[in-house]
Amino acid sequence: MRSLNLHLKVLITLLVVAGVLITGYQIFILGIPVTEDETEDLWNIDAKVEFQASPREPVKLQMFVPPLVQDYVSLHESFISNNYGVNVNRVDGNRIVTWSARRANGNQTLYYRLALTKRYSGEQPNPKGPIFRDSQIVEGAEKIAAEALLAPIRQHSADVETFISEAIKRVNNTNDDNVRLLLGGDASAENKARVVDLLLSIAHVPLERVHTIRLTSDQAQTPELWLRSFNGQNWLYFSPHTGQQGLPADRLIWWFGDSPLISLEGGRKAQVTFTLNNNEINAIRLAQRADETTDASLLEYSLYGLPLQTQQTYQIMIMIPLGVLVILILRNLGGLQTLGTFTPVLIALAFRETQLGFGIALFTVITAMGLMLRSYLEHLKLQMLPRLSVVLTFVVVLIAVISLLSHKLGLERGLSVALFPMVILTMTIERLSITWEERGGTHAFKVAIGTLIAATLAHLLMSIEELTYFVFTFPAVLLVLVGFMLAMGRYRGYRLTELFRFKAFLKD
Amino acid sequence: MLGLIKRWKALEAKGIMGINRRNADYVLKYNQRHLYPVVDDKIITKQRAIEAGIHVPKLYGIISTEKEIENFDKIVAEHNDFVIKPAQGAGGDGITVVADRFEDRFKTVSGKIISKDEIEQQLSNILSGLYSLGGHRDRVLIEYRVTPDPIFKSISYEGVPDIRIIVLMGYPVMAMLRLPTRQSNGKANLHQGAIGVGVDLATGITLKGTWLNNKISKHPDTGNAVDGVQLPNWDGFMKLAAGCYELCGLGYIGVDMVLDEEKGPLILELNARPGLNIQIANDCGLTLRTHAVEARLAELQSRKVVETAEERVRFAQQTFGQSKPEL
Repeated sequence: MRSLNLHLKVLITLLVVAGVLITGYQIFILGIPVTEDETEDLWNIDAKVEFQASPREPVKLQMFVPPLVQDYVSLHESFISNNYGVNVNRVDGNRIVTWSARRANGNQTLYYRLALTKRYSGEQPNPKGPIFRDSQIVEGAEKIAAEALLAPIRQHSADVETFISEAIKRVNNTNDDNVRLLLGGDASAENKARVVDLLLSIAHVPLERVHTIRLTSDQAQTPELWLRSFNGQNWLYFSPHTGQQGLPADRLIWWFGDSPLISLEGGRKAQVTFTLNNNEINAIRLAQRADETTDASLLEYSLYGLPLQTQQTYQIMIMIPLGVLVILILRNLGGLQTLGTFTPVLIALAFRETQLGFGIALFTVITAMGLMLRSYLEHLKLQMLPRLSVVLTFVVVLIAVISLLSHKLGLERGLSVALFPMVILTMTIERLSITWEERGGTHAFKVAIGTLIAATLAHLLMSIEELTYFVFTFPAVLLVLVGFMLAMGRYRGYRLTELFRFKAFLKD
Repeated sequence: MLGLIKRWKALEAKGIMGINRRNADYVLKYNQRHLYPVVDDKIITKQRAIEAGIHVPKLYGIISTEKEIENFDKIVAEHNDFVIKPAQGAGGDGITVVADRFEDRFKTVSGKIISKDEIEQQLSNILSGLYSLGGHRDRVLIEYRVTPDPIFKSISYEGVPDIRIIVLMGYPVMAMLRLPTRQSNGKANLHQGAIGVGVDLATGITLKGTWLNNKISKHPDTGNAVDGVQLPNWDGFMKLAAGCYELCGLGYIGVDMVLDEEKGPLILELNARPGLNIQIANDCGLTLRTHAVEARLAELQSRKVVETAEERVRFAQQTFGQSKPEL
C-alpha cells in the first residue's frame, strides 16, 4: 500500500510539473497571450470544398474567392490542397481560383482559408458601372403581367434607387396575381432576383447579382444573394427579400454575377462548406511566432494547426474534462447524488445547443412525460429492449412535436431541440424510473435534481469563453487536471452530505 | 462553516467511516473485481456455500431459459411454500414468496392469490433481466422459504428480519439486526425504511437502533423496545459470517443471514459494498475496528500465522464486544 501511495504521489507530481512547465513555456518563452483579445473584426474564413473525382479524368475546379474590394484587408490567404495546381485570376471584378490535377481519385477535400480584418483600406477606386442596358424580350402573358407591375412602380418612384426598391417590394408581394404568374410558384431568392431583373431590364435599369457571406461565427451558412445597381456615382445594394437598401456591415462580398460558386470538370457531388471564426488573432500571432523562433516546433502540433471546423469541435471537446471534474467534485467531495456518473456531463453538452433555461425546461418536460409513459408500460410487463425502444420513439416524437409547436409559436429556440441527444434522455428516463421503483419517489426526485444541478454547473463552467480559450491554447493544463483527479482517486475524507448523515453520532 | 469543520473532526475522532474511505481503503483494496460475480449472482454464492458446507436455504431448482419454465411444476411439486428470486436482483425486487397453495393457484405471504400464468409471466420477466442490475439476462432461483424464529415476533413487523455482519478478511467487525417496518413494505432494506439494530458481537444482545439515519430505541410500528434482546445461536451466526471469507475470497463484505425456526442460521446473500448505516445502529465507528483487525493481520503475518474461523471469531468477540471494555 505504501509503495502504491508513493507511486501515485510521484505520478501526480510528474503530471502537475509537466503541465505547469509546458504551460509556463508557452506563456513566458513563446509569449502566447493568456487571454483572448477582443478583436471582433478579425475573421478567419474557411471554405471547404469536397467532391468526388472521377477516375481517369483530369480534374479542374473553379471557385470564386472574395475580390476584396470592400473595406476589408486580407491578412493572409491560403489554398490548401495536395497535389493540385493552384491558379488565381481576376475576371470581371471577380477573383477565381482554379485547382487542377491530372489525376485524382475518390473523395477530394480542398481548403481555401482567408484571414481578414475590417480596416479602412486607403483610397477607394472610383466606382464604375453601366447605367443603361437593353431590355430582355418577353412575350404574351408574362409581358402583360410585367407591364402591369411596372406601371405602379414607375408611379411610386422618383429615381433609380426608389425604383429598384419599389420593384423588389412588389415582387415580394405574392398576393399579386401578376407576381405569381411571373414567379411561377417558386418563391426562392434566386427566382425573385430573376423576376426583379426582368422588370428592371424592361425599364433599362441595369442590375447585378451579388453573393455575400455573413461574418458571423459558429453558424453554418450558404452565400446570401443580394442585388446591386449603379446609379452613376455609386453602387446601390438591395436585399431581394425586403427591398432594403444598403449592404449591412457584416456582409462580405464573395462574387458578382450569375455563375454558380464552383464549377467542376472531372468530378461530381461538389459541395462547399463555410466556417467562420472571429477569435483567431492569437492563432495568427501564434503562427508568426512559430515561424520566427525555429525551435518552437512544439507549436506545429498545437490545436491551432487544425482546420477551423475541427478546431471548433475541439473547443467543445477539450472542455469535457472540466465538466467531468465538476461532477467528480460534486459527487466525491459534496456527496451529491446524480444519475449515473457521466450522464450530467452529456446533459451539459446538450445544454450547449439549447441554452440553459430552455434546456432545463425541456429536460424536465420530456423526462416527466417519459416517466409517465414508462410507468404505464410497467403495467404491460414488457421486456427491456422493446420497452426502451418504445420510450426512445416516444422521446423522438415528443421532441418533434415540441419543435413543431415552438416553431409555430415563433420560438426559433425550439428548433435547436433536434440536437438534444435523445438516447441520453431515454436512458435518463429508464434509470430514473428504476431508481423510483427501487428507492422510492423522493429519492428519484433527489437524484433528478442532483443531475440537473450537476449538469447546470458543468455547463456553466464549460461555457466560460476565457476558460475555453485558455484550455484550448494551453492543453497541458489537462495534465494538471489529471493529477488532481488521480489525487481524488485516493481521497478518504468525508463527503459534505455525510457530515449531515452521521449527525446522530454527535447528539449525545 | 466552522461548525462543519468541527463536526468533521468529531466524526473522525469517533472513527466513523465515510463512503470515500470505505471505497478507497476497503472495497477497492480487499475486494478483487473478478470475484464480484460470486456475490452478485445468488446462484453462484449458494453453490459455493453448499460446497463449503455452509448453511443456506435449500435450493429447489434453477430456471435459466424460457424453455425451462416448463419445469417449474416439477421443481415445486413437493413443496407448498417456496421463494422465487432473480439471481442478480437488487434491493429485494422481483422476489415472490409463496406461502401456500390454494386449489390450482398459489397464495403469497401477503395473502394475494396468483395463478400459474402469472407466475410464469414473472419467471419470464426475471429471465429477461427486468430486475437485474443493468438489465442483463438473468436466472431464476427457487428455494426454501425461511420461517423466521418466533423470537423476532415481538420486535418485528411482517417480513423476515435478517442479520448483517460486516466481515473484514474473515474477522467479523460489526453486526446489525435489520427489522422490516410498515414503511419498508416488509423488506429488510435500510434505504427503504427498515430499522437497523446494533448487536453486541460478544453476546448477541441487541443494542439501540437506527431508522432513516436517526437513533431510535423502539420499533416504530410495534412500539416494543428493540434493545436488550438476546439473539439465539449467536456464535453460530458469527462462525457462519467468518467462514464467508474462505467461501468467496472477498476481503470486505456484508454477510446477510436469517434465523430459521428449524434450520437455524442460514446465509441469504453476500454484499461487496456493505452500507455504512450499521455504524449508527451500533453507535460506533467502523474505522477503529477495521484498524484493529488490520493491526492484528499485520502482527499475524509477521509471525506467519493464519487463524481459523473460530480463532477469528474469538478475537472479534474479545476485542469488539461491548460487555468488555472498549479498545
